[in-house]
Amino acid sequence: MLAAPLLAEEGASGIGALGVDLTSLLVYLVNFGILLLILYFFAYKRVLAMLDERSGRIKGSLEEAERVRRDSEEREAEMQRTFEQNRQESQRLLAEAREMAQRQRDETRRQAEADVERLKASAAADIRRERDAAVEEVRQQFANLAVTAAERIIHRTIDRKAHQDLIDEVLAQEGAFQSDGEAR
Amino acid sequence: MSRAVLLPVAGGAAALLIVGFVIGAVGAAMLGRDAFLPVPQVHLAPQPIACLGGTMAGTACEGGFAVTNTLLSAWATTLVILLVFVGGTRAMRLVPGRLQSLIEMLIEALYGFITSVAGERNGRRFFPLLMTIFLFVAFNAWMALLPIYPSVGFTAPGADHVTTHLFRSAGTDVNMPLALALVSFAFVEIWGLRVHGIGYLREFVRLGGLFGGLRRLNPGQIFYGLVDAAIGLLELLSHLIRLLSFTFRLFGNMLAGEIVLFMVTFLVIFLAPIAFYFLEILVGGVQALIFTGLSLVFAVMAVAPHAAHDEEHHADAAHEAAR
Repeated sequence: MLAAPLLAEEGASGIGALGVDLTSLLVYLVNFGILLLILYFFAYKRVLAMLDERSGRIKGSLEEAERVRRDSEEREAEMQRTFEQNRQESQRLLAEAREMAQRQRDETRRQAEADVERLKASAAADIRRERDAAVEEVRQQFANLAVTAAERIIHRTIDRKAHQDLIDEVLAQEGAFQSDGEAR
Repeated sequence: MSRAVLLPVAGGAAALLIVGFVIGAVGAAMLGRDAFLPVPQVHLAPQPIACLGGTMAGTACEGGFAVTNTLLSAWATTLVILLVFVGGTRAMRLVPGRLQSLIEMLIEALYGFITSVAGERNGRRFFPLLMTIFLFVAFNAWMALLPIYPSVGFTAPGADHVTTHLFRSAGTDVNMPLALALVSFAFVEIWGLRVHGIGYLREFVRLGGLFGGLRRLNPGQIFYGLVDAAIGLLELLSHLIRLLSFTFRLFGNMLAGEIVLFMVTFLVIFLAPIAFYFLEILVGGVQALIFTGLSLVFAVMAVAPHAAHDEEHHADAAHEAAR
């Protein structure tokens, strides 16, 4: 395949046998330099710019996502706080209402008790008055009866006034119908 | 794969192997016949294809510029790289197509490697050169595995087979690795000078201790000064030796790969070379990575703050480890 005698180079020896050649070396250097320059300006720059842009975008969107997450967390915390506030508020209102109702009930009861007391007192007074009136009436009738009876007994008309005084005196002495003390 | 397909394929492969073995050099020698392929001839120096401004005298170009087959393949490699990379990145899109993805993947991988070693700022500075070295070495090695390389060429008058190939892997021409080594060397030293200024040279010229000792006539200090000066010389020497190791590592690997492929093809014509083709694909990538990686390490060392002698040792160890 590769032709010519084995390891037969053009009679050169040492470094020449390896084929080191200044012109070739220079051409390789220039060739590589050109390749480097073209790749640098027409490939690497573009690719690196694209990679940078993409990583920038990714970083940007990650930051955006992070920001959104923080925002939503904040909002949730805010909502939680509001909710908590509302709950406490409603708790407070409820307690207040309960207390108010309790006060109302107490008030009503006190009122009712007072009313009852008052009514009872007034009823007792009425009763006493009625009784007194009744007692008075009975006494009147009894007095009249006594007078009539006495008239009948003695068949004569005596001074009514004098009789009445007499009877009153007797009754007062008896004290039997005097009920003030009992009622009190 | 089903049995119906597997059996014929395996049978065909075995037949190919046997035929290749029988008509190849090994079988031919056993049977006392001539081998199917001519004995491969090893040329260290590349052969000229054309002679610009001179005359071809046999296989040599006299008095002109020789366009060698290795140079031609270097140009072909350059062209292919440019076509792929410039063509593939002409219309960059945020959502890339296949070729753009591939290119980006390659560039991003190497860029990540370089910045992970050199840091973001220096990595950006080193990247274009190192990437280009990588691409050139790898593409050059891989393209040499194409059948057009060993099969197309010129036949000398009177010969019955190709005597001068049209293309020959540029890595097998010592000038190409040498050129890359020089570029790498030059860039490393330039980066070192740009970062440290003229003080970078103090790494090599360490005479301060010696002069100080001489001024005070302190024998101990003079001794240490001498040692320090010798270390500076060794440092200089090590930078120059890098040139040689870069050159011959790549040259040796590429040439050896080429020879192995020719020889195995000569010995057993079919199938057996495939294993070596895989090996050479690997070697091409590995050599490209080694050349790039070592240049990177040297560049990092050159721009690192001074008194970094420990790193030097590490780098030398890495150097040794890389074949």
